[in-house]
Amino acid sequence: MDFRFDIIVEYFPFFMEGMGLTILMSVVGVIMGCILGFFIALGKMSPFVFVRLPFVWYINFLRGTPLLVQLFLFHYAVLPSILGSTTPVLSVMVTLSLNSSAYVAEIFRAGLQSIDKGQAEAAHSLGMNKIQVMRHVLLPQAFKRSIPPLGNEFIVLLKDSSLGAMIAAQELLYWGRAASGQYLRVWEPYLMVALVYLVLTLSLTYLLNYMERRFDVK
Amino acid sequence: MISVKHLKKSFGDLEVLKDINADINQKEVVVVIGPSGSGKSTFLRCLNLIEPVTDGTVMIDGVELTDKKVDINKLRAEVGMVFQQFNLFPHKTVIENITLPIITVKKWNKTDAEQKAKDLLKKVGLLEKANAYPESLSGGQKQRVAIARALGMEPKVMLFDEPTSALDPEMVGEVLEVMKQLAEEGMTMVVVTHEMGFAKEVGDRVIFMDEGYIVEENEPNQLFDDPQHQRTKAFLSKVL
Repeated sequence: MDFRFDIIVEYFPFFMEGMGLTILMSVVGVIMGCILGFFIALGKMSPFVFVRLPFVWYINFLRGTPLLVQLFLFHYAVLPSILGSTTPVLSVMVTLSLNSSAYVAEIFRAGLQSIDKGQAEAAHSLGMNKIQVMRHVLLPQAFKRSIPPLGNEFIVLLKDSSLGAMIAAQELLYWGRAASGQYLRVWEPYLMVALVYLVLTLSLTYLLNYMERRFDVK
Repeated sequence: MISVKHLKKSFGDLEVLKDINADINQKEVVVVIGPSGSGKSTFLRCLNLIEPVTDGTVMIDGVELTDKKVDINKLRAEVGMVFQQFNLFPHKTVIENITLPIITVKKWNKTDAEQKAKDLLKKVGLLEKANAYPESLSGGQKQRVAIARALGMEPKVMLFDEPTSALDPEMVGEVLEVMKQLAEEGMTMVVVTHEMGFAKEVGDRVIFMDEGYIVEENEPNQLFDDPQHQRTKAFLSKVL
């Protein structure tokens, strides 16, 4: 079997460009997902049913439907009706942010609820109010415990950003498909795309392991 | 100092405290004993509203705790509590455990808070552990830090919820020693414990609880040597 390295060489700048966009969309998704997820977690833990319910269904919807379906919904229906128009990259970033926020919310909630209730009791017994207890006692501990599952979520998110190719966002897989289409070759472009994803996820894994050590997660 | 009237507490259908009436005077050390499930820990936890009360009133220093208008956080700051499981903050060092509430609740600056914390650590004999994390301490040391942390708020009353029950036997003494010292300094204390020796030696009064009621209360010697109720006798015969 002949392996045409020249295709890879030719498309290399595009793969790098696509990789850049993949990283950008993933980073935006992670950051927005964490910010939104934090508030959704708090909302879902509300003692009041009518406050809790919208958050419960937000999570139900985003975890219970395929990401690709969500991407189509946001790209073709939701964002155009709200903004008038959208771009593939914007649609991917919005969809990834919302989708990951649901998973991150559950990670944060599990982290918070795994903290022994004696911690909050002790803090309250010292006269700390709810916000102080949350900020100084519960959140730091919950965050530490959330790092391993969050890392997992980030890796999934990075790989899921490849769905952007389905709406022509010019990320990594998009260029793989382009190369495949141009030369009618399947091995070279897709192996290359897979390799770049692997490099990205392994780097992320390495970074996360470092963070776990840094924060002394047990 | 503390006045409890017709206190009732239920968890769902389970009525844990049925009708508790008690007064605790300033500088008094009251020891609460009773079989497990008698409601003694719940009673203690109602005194700073860590456990919301179902019915009845708890007054501390003339302030009605269950009054919705009362700033419960301010009140809790004046009532120290020590838990069976220590409940130190594992992500904070020993000294940070003590300074955190002083800085956040009392609004002291860091330098003053640290000075206060060091004084307290010296008092409980753990100054050299100031920068250690709780996980590196023994149970007895953890509990002494927990006591120091509660004292940092300069409380008017200290509540102890089975402070030695989770400790290895050889560490019980060091914690009781700190508590005894506190009692000698005139701290008002309510202590739920199984340490009958401590009750006898340090307690001004012993309350015996069973099935959600205060069955009997008296001076330690009276209660231990001459219990009036059958249930008190039965309990004491098992533990003494």
